[in-house]
Amino acid sequence: MKAWEKLSLRARLGLLYAALLIFSVVLVGCYSYWNIWQLFISNKSSHLRARAKPIIEHWILDNDLAKPDFPYLNLNPQNALVLSRDLTSRDAVAIILNRKGEVIANGKRLPEEPEAPPPDKKYLHRALSGENEVTYLSQVNGKPVLVLLIPLRLQPGSSLIFGVVQISVMLTDINQILFSHGAMLIALVATILISGIIAGFWLIGVSLKDLHGLLATCNQISKGNFSRRVSVKNRRDEIGQLATSFNRMIDQLEATFASQQRFVVNAAHELLTPLTGLRGSLEVMLRGAQDDPASTARLSKGMYKEVNRLIRLCEQLLGLSRLESLSNVHKQSIVLPEFFNDFEPQAQVLARGRSLIIKQGPYARVSADPDLLKQILLNLLSNALRYSSPETAVVISWKLLPEQVEIWVSDQGEGMDKETLSHILEPFYQGKSTIASGEKGIGLGLSLAKSMVEAHEGAIRVESEPGKGTTVFFTLPLG
Amino acid sequence: MILYGKSGIIYAMNTDNNNKIRLLVIEDDPVITEFLCTGLKYEGYDVTPRAAGKTGLDTLQQATFDLIILDVMLPDIDGFEVCRRIRDRGPDVPILMLTVKKEISDRVKGLDSGADDYLTKPFSFDELLARIRALLRRSGKARENKKLQAGSIVLDMESREVSRNGKRIDLTPTEFGLLELFMRHPHRAFTRETLLNRVLGYHYDGGTNIIDVHISHLRNKLGDRPPHLIRTIYAVGYAFYPEETGP
Repeated sequence: MKAWEKLSLRARLGLLYAALLIFSVVLVGCYSYWNIWQLFISNKSSHLRARAKPIIEHWILDNDLAKPDFPYLNLNPQNALVLSRDLTSRDAVAIILNRKGEVIANGKRLPEEPEAPPPDKKYLHRALSGENEVTYLSQVNGKPVLVLLIPLRLQPGSSLIFGVVQISVMLTDINQILFSHGAMLIALVATILISGIIAGFWLIGVSLKDLHGLLATCNQISKGNFSRRVSVKNRRDEIGQLATSFNRMIDQLEATFASQQRFVVNAAHELLTPLTGLRGSLEVMLRGAQDDPASTARLSKGMYKEVNRLIRLCEQLLGLSRLESLSNVHKQSIVLPEFFNDFEPQAQVLARGRSLIIKQGPYARVSADPDLLKQILLNLLSNALRYSSPETAVVISWKLLPEQVEIWVSDQGEGMDKETLSHILEPFYQGKSTIASGEKGIGLGLSLAKSMVEAHEGAIRVESEPGKGTTVFFTLPLG
Repeated sequence: MILYGKSGIIYAMNTDNNNKIRLLVIEDDPVITEFLCTGLKYEGYDVTPRAAGKTGLDTLQQATFDLIILDVMLPDIDGFEVCRRIRDRGPDVPILMLTVKKEISDRVKGLDSGADDYLTKPFSFDELLARIRALLRRSGKARENKKLQAGSIVLDMESREVSRNGKRIDLTPTEFGLLELFMRHPHRAFTRETLLNRVLGYHYDGGTNIIDVHISHLRNKLGDRPPHLIRTIYAVGYAFYPEETGP
């Protein structure tokens, strides 16, 4: 079984096919051989019977054996010998047996006449009990002979049987015919097998060729060559479909891989900028700026900022990776007006005296993780505050949609153009701002919010118009 | 803390503002700008920082500079574009670009747009100084002498030989480094930590007493008798006061 499993699919299919072919061809060959043999035997035996029948009838008539007072139990050996002689020819020999099964006459006289096989008691008994057509195969000196038993009756159809004639004929001629026939059959079978197996292997090879191409491509892809694709020659069979869906899968993998790589490169770049500041500041201090307290103070403040930026970046990266598994989202039923009542003080702290309006929407119950929902709102709120001027207000509100609640955070800030808007949800993407104040952002806030919303099976979208303001909408499922 | 001697400047390195090498730094990150300004000023350059491409270009129209340090990622105009505009206007000032990206295509793009050299963030400050010196040398703006002279002491940076009154003095590499630093920055008080960092590297973990040992060896070899050329500044460290030559 193990060796079988080690074989290639091509070899396995080929072997199965060859075995099936051999089995069916041999079966047909054997059947046809056996059929011909049967035909020959029955032909031969009916021919012999047809020849024997008139001879036996004449013999009975000639010897007046049909008389009812004929002492049939005492079959005269002389008479029997005449009959056996009449029935014996160059290829057939007859012997006569009495009711006890004893041989009373043997037709063999000349040496070229065949030898008669000794009578078989089993078949003899059948003949004596009235069976007319007892025919069986036997052997004389290792050569096959056909044996016929003909019961001797006083009259045809009479139940009185006074003896049995055994006619045996050598089957050498039949064997010769069968041998030549068999040889032809074997040659035919061999031809069919060889051509069939060759054609079969070729067919299997052709249909598996694309599978081999697929395998080669898979190997190359597993070595990291994601640009490879399987070539499909417009095939609609299973292999063609497999190749198509395989290509589609690699397309997606490549896209995912590329975006992962882009993410890592972006993350590394974001890490490198504060690290540049840190390294440079430290080096300048070590080179001598440490001797000047004013320089030390300025550089230290800068380094403190950079370290905080690094920590923020790491926290957000961790936040993103945590959201990759949904098990970290602890959903519960949240009643929206109550949630926003709790949230307002926290939001006002972030607003630092800026005008923040939470416009109460309809009563709604949503299924969400309250901590994550707070984080989403704080992220959006800090963006809104950052990119709008201090005199303008930021509004948070919500409304009911079928099966969902839509929450939005709206500002009257600088807005953004179409180009920025199309990339704004991508990690590390930052639009150009003229009024943003405070510490430099990282560009993860919105993509983090997007991940958090998507972890709730919601959707996020941004509407913005330069000079008018930006509104971020997101949906949550009703709880 | 920079201390000036009572007789003013004697040594060849010009600290006169009019003769200082003028650098324009166009970089939007405040922390990077801060350390660039502090570090480069400490090395004796005159530094003008600008936070955006547009203001940088405006400044270039009003004044001339010996070298421009240009960040690629600027909030308004891309660094490559700034570079191209500077080149379009004509001034043949060397431009050193700072980039975060390591891709070859970026380097090619940087050099194609007219930059003379580039440095990948995060860079070492020593390397930045070396690149600046190399660019200045190439443009003929460097006024760097192969020999430093302070009074009777002559220090040859190429052959690494020191002589006083024409008599050769054999110094160890550390002593040579100390003397070179002192002669480059006369009258400046160095703390022992700074001397340690500059001469033995940032990775040296030992105490600062080792500097006192090296200074004492250096004084002996120079025949430096009180009042010393290399003076001990109480509660700070050491400073170099060259012999007064001339009025």
